Amino acid sequence: MDALKIRHANAMPAPTWGWLRMNDTQIEIPMSLAPGGSMEVDAEDRLFDHAMSFEGAVAELQARLDAARATANEGSAGDDRACVRAALAENAARNVAADGAAEMPGTAETAESGSANAPAADLELPALSRYQKRAALEEAALDVATAFETGIGADARAYLNFLARETMVLAAAKDTQERATVRVEAEAGEAAAVSIDVVAAPGSTFDLVIALDATAAMGAEDNATAALAGTTLRVFAGSHARVNVTVYALGTPTAMLLDDEGYVLDEGARVNVRHVVLGGELTVTGLAADVRGDTARLDIDTRYLASGSEQRDFNYVVRQRGRKTVSNMNANGVLAGTSKKVLRGTIDLVHGCKGSEGSEQETVLLASEGVDNKTVPTILCDEDDVAGNHGATIGHVRPEQLFYLESRGVSAEAAEALFIRAKLEDAALSAPDERIRASVLRLGEALIPGFTDDIDAPKEDAA
Amino acid sequence: MSQTPLLSIQGLAAAVDEKTILHGIDLTIPAGETHVLMGPNGAGKSTLGHVIMGDPAYTQTAGTIAFDGEDMTELSPDKRSRAGVFLSFQAPVEIPGVPLSSFLRATIADRPGLEMRGKEFRRRMKELCAELDMPPAYLNRELGVGFSGGEKKKVEMLQLLLLQPKLAILDETDSGLDVDALGVVSRGMELYRKSCDGTLLIITHNTRILEHLDVDRVHVMVNGRVVHEGDASLIDWIDEHGFERFEQEAAGDSSGAELSPADLSAVIER
Repeated sequence: MDALKIRHANAMPAPTWGWLRMNDTQIEIPMSLAPGGSMEVDAEDRLFDHAMSFEGAVAELQARLDAARATANEGSAGDDRACVRAALAENAARNVAADGAAEMPGTAETAESGSANAPAADLELPALSRYQKRAALEEAALDVATAFETGIGADARAYLNFLARETMVLAAAKDTQERATVRVEAEAGEAAAVSIDVVAAPGSTFDLVIALDATAAMGAEDNATAALAGTTLRVFAGSHARVNVTVYALGTPTAMLLDDEGYVLDEGARVNVRHVVLGGELTVTGLAADVRGDTARLDIDTRYLASGSEQRDFNYVVRQRGRKTVSNMNANGVLAGTSKKVLRGTIDLVHGCKGSEGSEQETVLLASEGVDNKTVPTILCDEDDVAGNHGATIGHVRPEQLFYLESRGVSAEAAEALFIRAKLEDAALSAPDERIRASVLRLGEALIPGFTDDIDAPKEDAA
Repeated sequence: MSQTPLLSIQGLAAAVDEKTILHGIDLTIPAGETHVLMGPNGAGKSTLGHVIMGDPAYTQTAGTIAFDGEDMTELSPDKRSRAGVFLSFQAPVEIPGVPLSSFLRATIADRPGLEMRGKEFRRRMKELCAELDMPPAYLNRELGVGFSGGEKKKVEMLQLLLLQPKLAILDETDSGLDVDALGVVSRGMELYRKSCDGTLLIITHNTRILEHLDVDRVHVMVNGRVVHEGDASLIDWIDEHGFERFEQEAAGDSSGAELSPADLSAVIER
């Protein structure tokens, strides 16, 4: 089958051993899928009358950061840590070599300028890994636009932008409260995507719901990706803005769902992200966040279900650069059948983020013996006075839980079905609107006949 | 009294990790009666409840457990539940990720006479929540997660009323509850008795929970053995004297003569 291959997707920033096969993933998109599908936006017109683009908001933040750095560096040599000097020296040496001007070791310093100049003979310079070098250069550059990244990666973003054709910019004005719902629906044989930029001005609140829906492809032939729905999202949360993003990824066991997100958080911004991933042959969810402003906070809540031979691939990269920032990642999932899942969660406590805290927790219930689960929490730290925590609870139903269930008439087999049903029911109960709820029910009905009858009441019925 | 007892335990012995905990238990409960199982800590009361329910943590090494005339020794716990046995846990477990409503639906699935779908189920849930002073919003919460001790016991009562088992074994359902929660548990037991003429085996230390119940028979357990049985008046006697006398007797203490009905006469007359 001809396929478009996106390599090194959902890559961990600091990879571990390759043989573990969890550093990244490869996405194979069948060439047979035709760009199409439908995209629908429910939002007030004023959100499109944007005064500020994502790039503009980043540039404005950059100007403030540059001014603050200039003030801080007045009368000092700036960031002259050995790792930064080493990275700059190495970079300069490479540039000189590339120019053909460096014939002898030790001449690299001729290309250096300013305080970062480092003599090649400086024995204090540490040897840096590729990751350390990149991080040091990024810190020295203090360039928000260059450092910006999305979770799945640039290639996937390029593909999704190609499918979307154009980027929709939704902007909330200062101190306003706005909301928008975007639906991407792909039917059998179609590939559909939307590209969204959200710019939340200082003090604003923005609620965004994205529904990636490929449940209409139900009944398509097995063993072939029937449909693809995706999104690539950039969010700029301005000073003390509040942004709430909910993404429902719903697809049949032959659908592919791609959710690529990147965030920049200004001072005091609060971002809450909720990912609900319930179906799809392959779902790839990637989120990268630049928690740049002091006291900014990011909370991510992920709920997922994989049954049959479905695959889930998650990559969360939270770089905490501001002081006293907070991040929380919580994931809770159920794996049944012979499904596979990788969840990479990286908290990067970057130099300068004093007083910051990052935490990641995952609870995975392995509802059958044949599942393959990989939970990869990573905490990178280049600052003192910070806290990074991670934890994972992975396991089968505990004997005392099973006995409790059995004592109420629920057999071990019925318990597996219960965990699947519970995940779907939870998603239906907390669905942001009736259409998303209907899609969850459609998916539920396909997995559990009679599911819709059981929970067909409107939400307020149970409230 | 009916001809065939609902629960008939003969010579039951059970062990955990090869250590015998229950020794030759004989216990009979006719349908429709309320029995109380009392005894000091570590007597094996909860173990007996779990063994009746078929907890795989224990090994039944001897004896039989007949329920409704059928030997259920070989039945798994879910089949015992479907046969009509219910065990309310002293410490109900938490199951993150499973909403209470989903769990409740699973418990009634494929039970003849109890199967409810959609609206009917939700209406029944609303009724039961109202009877137990439970906000219906609890149904959307994850099973046991973040519930207080009292809330967990209310959920146990909710299941008792939903499932309407033939026999309900309540294992210290009243332990650690405040007055309000205790009231709800008492009401739950009363409703259960009224709604389906249910049979109760109440395991407790606390005689207060029994105040509003018509108790038919009291069994006293010490060191894994049923050492005494009597009518409801035994509760008052235990309330006054504790279990010391029974423990002495079980230990073969010569200072105390064997407990005879005469010893309890003062209480019985009262």
